[in-house]
Amino acid sequence: MSRNMREPKSCEDRPRAILHLDLDAFFASVEALENPLLAGKPVIVGGRPEERGVVASASYPARAFGVRSAMPTSRALALCPEAIVVPPRHRLYADYSRRVMELLHQVSPLVEPASIDEAYLDLTDQIADWEQAVDLARQVQHRVRDEIGLSSSLGVATNKLVAKIAADQHKPGGLTVVRPGQEAAFLAPLPVQVLWGVGPVTARKLADLLQVSTVGDLAQIPEEVLRAHFGRHGSAMARQAQGRDERPVVPVHERKTLSQERTFRRDLAQAEILEQELRQLSEAVSQHLQSAGLACGTIALKLRYADFTTLTRQMTLSAPTNDALLIYQAALAMFRRSWERGRPVRLLGVSGRRLSSLVGQLTLWGGSNEPD
Amino acid sequence: MKISCLQENLAKGLATVGRAVATRSTLPVLSNILMESDRGRLRLAATNLEIGISCWIGARVEEEGRTTVPARLLTEFVNSLPSGQIDMELIERTQTLNLKCARYEANIKGIDPAEFPDVPTAESLGEPGGLPLQTETFRRMIERVVFAAATDESRPILTGVLAQFYQGGLTLAAADGFRLSVTSADVGAELDETAKIIIPARALAELNRISGDQEEPIQLIVTPTRNQVLFHLTNTDLVAQLIEGNFPDYKQIIPKTYNTRAVVNTQELLKAVKVAFLFARDAANIIRFQILPGTELSPGQMIVAATSAEFGDNVSELDATVTGDKIEIAFNARYLIDVLSVVGTTEVALETSTPSSPGVVRPVGGDDFVCVIMPMHISR
Repeated sequence: MSRNMREPKSCEDRPRAILHLDLDAFFASVEALENPLLAGKPVIVGGRPEERGVVASASYPARAFGVRSAMPTSRALALCPEAIVVPPRHRLYADYSRRVMELLHQVSPLVEPASIDEAYLDLTDQIADWEQAVDLARQVQHRVRDEIGLSSSLGVATNKLVAKIAADQHKPGGLTVVRPGQEAAFLAPLPVQVLWGVGPVTARKLADLLQVSTVGDLAQIPEEVLRAHFGRHGSAMARQAQGRDERPVVPVHERKTLSQERTFRRDLAQAEILEQELRQLSEAVSQHLQSAGLACGTIALKLRYADFTTLTRQMTLSAPTNDALLIYQAALAMFRRSWERGRPVRLLGVSGRRLSSLVGQLTLWGGSNEPD
Repeated sequence: MKISCLQENLAKGLATVGRAVATRSTLPVLSNILMESDRGRLRLAATNLEIGISCWIGARVEEEGRTTVPARLLTEFVNSLPSGQIDMELIERTQTLNLKCARYEANIKGIDPAEFPDVPTAESLGEPGGLPLQTETFRRMIERVVFAAATDESRPILTGVLAQFYQGGLTLAAADGFRLSVTSADVGAELDETAKIIIPARALAELNRISGDQEEPIQLIVTPTRNQVLFHLTNTDLVAQLIEGNFPDYKQIIPKTYNTRAVVNTQELLKAVKVAFLFARDAANIIRFQILPGTELSPGQMIVAATSAEFGDNVSELDATVTGDKIEIAFNARYLIDVLSVVGTTEVALETSTPSSPGVVRPVGGDDFVCVIMPMHISR
């Protein structure tokens, strides 16, 4: 039976049309939009090399020199000495990201932001024929470029796994389509690392034990064999190797936490300085909550020592708040209880959890003018 | 140590001290209960370093001694035993406690009692006297304030209850930043000077829990170092760390005037609030009040309403004696339930001035109690 003969309404049989959109060199592209002098130049968004900074994002001209995200800025500059280093402006990126997500919502209600610069869209209900998904994807790509000014790479396929891998194939500015039934063939020549949950360790194990290096090789291995070697993860790999992935696109309605953290340039061990940092983080959390019209019922503290030992503590408040001082007091109380005085700290984080829309429980002492 | 006692007594003693056992401590011995022979009785003690409880039960001591055993295991084991005599013997060398009751026998591994922190008792402080407080009055006072203390420790001082003594009388006050509860009474204390201490609310809540059978006055002792308070009951001592610092000046928070005052039946209002809470608990506990003065033809009214965006809404009406202007104001239902449950008079008054000024709850016919509750701001 050919696909065209199927009734269009038999949803179960109809292949899904999933779009994955990835903004190209997102932070660096935003910086270039904000400052046209940066356009076409090697730009690195990240921390300063003398402050142990790392690359958060690099423009394509910088990538041509081998600069990659998460690389220490010092190393990136060694590879590309003429690169322009710009400190990250996360609030600006969040703003652009929100605009892109809003545009995507106009195309389909089923939008799942995967990160600040990536999203999945389920287009199945927007189209009568699968081919229309390709036209819709092209429209999305044009609108993101024309209305917002950003370049994006897109993948269209029947599921999230294949759509994401497809989007990665032709960057920047590509549109890669994997039509229904072509999933396994599309994946076959790619290295196994493109699959979810296959990192360097699993890849090495696959090569050593089963002489597997591509997804195609993997697809030849019976599922029982993979399960014998990798347990439940083996079954998942077998399914992925066939290009199968049933996970739905889940639109995210609300955020669950709002957090701010900071890795220090140098490890800190002085109480006054750490408490000052804690105050600034609390103020930032408060600011974000207030601008989103939210309050949090629980405050969490994250503390990472120089040796990467990490603890998190949380405290439930009597009433939800977005007041900077109340957040700071809670964070400080937890900090004083958990920090081993004098032990160097690498990272501090404060987050608000159990977010709710702000309900104004008024306070006895009027907002922040609390006693003590 | 070789001791025999009745299962009922041991179970009751373990329940009394059990709440002071540390639940999440890095010090393993704090999860244990200290057991020791003490002049023909068995003393049980537990502490989480914030509060400590000692309890003495009748026993036959054949051989003196002391040990500590895991609280949870011991309590659950003893609660499972039939009523009757329990014989306990400590195997010193291994710190193992052997228990026999009817046809049950167990060996429970303990920790050296030398590691157990000192839990002061009235006797160890050398002050068996102390300040006697009329038990019934003091218990009622505690009930009227402990709920208003903060449960989170972001401001430690607010987890405490301020106790202010003056000639013969006592005032207790607690506030968590959103509400304040103050009660005063003559507790029969013979004290010439005034004194102020801040007692952890949790310690007072525990005191109320364990003093249900107490008929004699409760003796209050502040340790000579002035950092601990001890409550001495007939067979039980509860000791707590005092909270240091200055309690906020609460008197200025209690409004002296009002624009609207509504008097309603306490139980009817409590019921209406509890019903509204069913709907409010999904909506930040917000319940809205409309207070309408009466006319020549109709009595005044109090209308209590709550809305849940997801589940629906609810409205209840109460007859009220209203003086002043009509007003709409919103409160956290939980806060009202807390105070209405302990007002103790047939009628209660709710006083306020504007939708964003404090609501004051007072018993009608008594000026020994006041609770100030901040409203919730509702934008519509």
